[in-house]
Amino acid sequence: MRVAQPLSDGEVVQRILAGDVEQYAVLVKRYRDRYARYAARMLGSPDAAEDAVQDAFVRAYDQLAQCREPEKFAGWFFLILRNRCFAERRRSHREARPLGMQDEAIAGPDRSDGQIERAEDRRTLERALERLTPEQRDVFVLKHVEEMSYEEIAALTGASVPSLKMRMHRAYDRLRAQLKELS
Amino acid sequence: MKMEYHPLVKQLLDGELTFANLPPELRAEGEQALRWVGAIDRTPVAFPAALDERVMAQVRRHAKSPAGRAWRWLLGSREIDIRFHVRPWAALGLAAAAAVAFVVVRPRFETAALRAPTYVRFIFYAPGARTVSVAGSFNQWDAAAAPLVPTASPGVWTTTVALPLGQHQYAFLVDGVRWVTDPTAPTVDDGFGQRNSVVAVAAQDGGGRAL
Repeated sequence: MRVAQPLSDGEVVQRILAGDVEQYAVLVKRYRDRYARYAARMLGSPDAAEDAVQDAFVRAYDQLAQCREPEKFAGWFFLILRNRCFAERRRSHREARPLGMQDEAIAGPDRSDGQIERAEDRRTLERALERLTPEQRDVFVLKHVEEMSYEEIAALTGASVPSLKMRMHRAYDRLRAQLKELS
Repeated sequence: MKMEYHPLVKQLLDGELTFANLPPELRAEGEQALRWVGAIDRTPVAFPAALDERVMAQVRRHAKSPAGRAWRWLLGSREIDIRFHVRPWAALGLAAAAAVAFVVVRPRFETAALRAPTYVRFIFYAPGARTVSVAGSFNQWDAAAAPLVPTASPGVWTTTVALPLGQHQYAFLVDGVRWVTDPTAPTVDDGFGQRNSVVAVAAQDGGGRAL
């Protein structure tokens, strides 16, 4: 029995550009959650991340003809989402709500002292991360949440490895100062 | 009080050094740093199914909009098939005329020069600032890529950046937290409600020129 192969990203993009708008749902389904955690940690809440991902998908559709390498749609979409997250963080001087729901659950009465302590550490770290620049927070999230190497981050973002390291090391120092203040 | 981590502790956090290889006098600092970084929330995030339909509803609206269709048509690339019917003697005549024209009227520009970057000096007045950098589409909005240095004039910062031909958006980052547009340059909407400054580098004899 012959099993139909799913269309590659490049093939899907070609069909959309030829006028088959509904094919875009394939790309949305394929990549809707891939960078969800990145966006949530960048913006401080899953709700803000959902808005950002939605905007990024619509913007990607509008600019689809500019996607030079349709087979690498995922990487191109990530850059649009990342720009959206940067713009949101620059715009919003208000305090983004830290991810606290999971922490509240962990800190319930049946939890051990160690778990409560870890939840408190997490909350404090989230508050300190709020005070990083978008660029510092970006590299921190990609390295320590998405657990990517500097080389992988460089390939994804187009920045050089030395530049990423410098940004990360400044972020460490800034976090240390903030954690000292918040603890 | 010194707030910077020791370079070896940073290497530990980067995963380039093991805790066992950390000198004993740095282990307390390293342990504390690992504890903080280990506290980051790595819980996977998944969006509700309604997201897909919301995106597709907007996409369908954009697809139907005449302005959206025109915009995508302008941005899209197309293959154009051009055919000529020429007689051999006419082709030879045209080639000879082109060769004469090339010798008599030399091209006034060189492709290599056009590809060469143009050095653009950014000047920004920020009295009291501790750091200033310029980030933009030319350096992937990397705030660390182009720091400005203070000049002899109090409050005036400057740097020179090599830019390719074309239009570039940028903004200044003051003290690592505050984004400011260039008061001496035009601005455009960044698509997300903020403004970015714009510099255009245009072709000129022997290279480029910032506008």
